[in-house]
This record gives sequence, structure tokens and C-alpha cells, in this order.
Amino acid sequence: MSTIFNIIYVNCKPMVKLDQINISNDGLTKFFSPIEAAILRALWSGGEMTTSELTEKTNIPLTSVAGTLDRLVKAGYTTRRMENVNGRVRYVYEPAFSEEEAATEITTKILDSLVDAFGPLARENFSKYSDKK
Amino acid sequence: MTLSAEIKCIGVCLKLSDFAPFIALLVVISISLLAASLMLKKPKRKLVTFVSAQILSLVAIAATFYLMNCGEMLTLYVCLAYVIISTVLIFGVLRYYDRILIKRLDAKPAGGVMEWMEDFVGKLVTARVYYFDSAIPRAFAAGRSIFVSIGLLEMLDENELKAVLAHEAWHIRQNTQMPYLKRLALMTFSSSSESELEYKADRFAAEIAGSNALSSARNKVDKVFI
Repeated sequence: MSTIFNIIYVNCKPMVKLDQINISNDGLTKFFSPIEAAILRALWSGGEMTTSELTEKTNIPLTSVAGTLDRLVKAGYTTRRMENVNGRVRYVYEPAFSEEEAATEITTKILDSLVDAFGPLARENFSKYSDKK
Repeated sequence: MTLSAEIKCIGVCLKLSDFAPFIALLVVISISLLAASLMLKKPKRKLVTFVSAQILSLVAIAATFYLMNCGEMLTLYVCLAYVIISTVLIFGVLRYYDRILIKRLDAKPAGGVMEWMEDFVGKLVTARVYYFDSAIPRAFAAGRSIFVSIGLLEMLDENELKAVLAHEAWHIRQNTQMPYLKRLALMTFSSSSESELEYKADRFAAEIAGSNALSSARNKVDKVFI
């Protein structure tokens, strides 16, 4: 049930907002905030993770990460569930989409915007670019 | 009828009646009480003066209403509506604030995940404990409910949680001892003794859960207790 919900949720929410794209930034921070990028990278490499595992891996203190985690869940980038172990409660986080899915969506979005701006000229450059590689 | 004409009309009607000095006196007293409530520093006096001003203006409006012979009385209706609405707000709506919060936060009873919390709070005060979905460690009390975020539950150990719950339970005890005064304090912006309340709540929490648990909870999450 939860996976069905996630799929619907992810499908109706864009992974990346176009107005957040900033090509002068480094790496993933072109598309996400630095903390968001660190969390997503950790989740993509580690799969399911608890809050303490996340803070350890990203090396960002919980006080700065907590608000971002709430935002990532609300925006549909990650999903989380509450686990109850030995009378203790904890969150387990999961990426809502894989790195490949994110790459596909971001690439499509940017190519779309290039075609929108330059039309056939953009297409010509795409083929030149793929020939060069 | 324009506003100034209406006020003039009210003035004429009052002049014709024998009660004009009486109502003028009421209005003067209630305005000076309102001014006093803005000037006074002590929360309790501030509240008493504010409430008396409110009641006196209600009496003045009712008396004017009774004496009036003019046709439309828009000004009076507006005054009456203000007094009634503010009184209802003070004594009615805010009483159900925790119900609104439960809906808005989609909070669930904490008994479902950590049974001991409800028992622990139950010994201190008649209140329910709810948890809500947020990674930011937070705890606060409203009405007869204590709210804790999942982020707080996963961060603190049992003793630290007890300190937080005792702190919030003290707030609820305080709220139920003088609920209307507290609400009026909110309305008149006179809750200047905030830090004093927090200090007392902390003292109570240290008594119940031990000062070590309280200070380690404080160290882990600064600015959590509201």
C-alpha cells in the first residue's frame, strides 16, 4: 500500500523544480540545496537509513538536518516511516526515486528548456554533442 | 445615515434622556480603564483593568441601546458586535485550541507507541500525550494535551523524555488553574512573566525527573520547551 502511494505521490510531484536549477553551482547543488544534496547522496548510496545514520554519514548535525528532512519528505524527494524497536521510536528514511530517475528527469527538463529556447539549433547541438562523446 | 450623523443622533438622544451623565460616566471610566490596562506593567492588574473596561463598555452600550429612539444604529451594532465577539473569543474558542492542533498536526495518541508516557503524565496532571510527524525535536502543551514530535522521541532517552513531559505537565497544571486569566493575558499582550513560568516549569521537571535528566535533555535540544 505504501509503495503504491509513493509511486502516485512521486509521479504527481516534480522531483526538481525548474526555478531551483542553478548551473553555476557544483555537482548536485545545481539542483538541490547543499544539505538536500548531501542527504540524497547518502540515501542513494546507503538505501534505508535511520536519522542517526544519516547525520553520521553526511556529517551534518541533527539541528541543521531535521528541518531539511521534513522539507524533503513534504516535497516528495524522500519517504520515511516510523519504526518501534524495544519501546523506542525512530525514523527510517528511503529515497523516493533513484539516482537514475533523478538524472533522467533533470536531463529531460533541461533539454526541453533548451529546445524551447533555441528550437532546431538546440537539436543540432545535441547530435553534435553525442557524436563527440 | 452617515457615521457622523449617527453619532450626533446618539448624542442628541442621550441629551434628551435623563441618563446622559450616567452613560457619560460609564464611558469615561471604561476608556480610562482601557488606557490604564495599556499602561500598567503587572500582568494581573493589566488583566483586571482590561476585563472591567470590557464589562463597563458592554453596560454602557446596553444602556444606550435601551434609551435610543433613533432609527438605524449601525455604530451601536458595531460596538456591540465587537464586545460580544471579543468576549466569546476569550472564553470560548481558545478552549478548544488543542483539538485544532491535533487536526492540523495529524497528531496521534502517544499510548500507541510508548505506553509509559501516558501513565507518567497521568500521575502528574489530567492530560493526554500526542505525537506528530516531524524530525525537528519539539514539545509543547496546549489545552489539556501535550504534543511531542517523533524527532524528540528518537533523540531523547527515557529519563530526558520524562523531564520534558514533566515540564509540559506543569504548564498544563498552570493553565487549568487560571485558564481564563492565561487566555486574557494572551489577548492583552501582558504575558511578560514568560521566563518566570519557564523557570518554574523547569524546577518542577527537575523535581520529578531529576536535574541531570533535565539538563541533558536541554543540552541535546536547545529551545525545545515552549
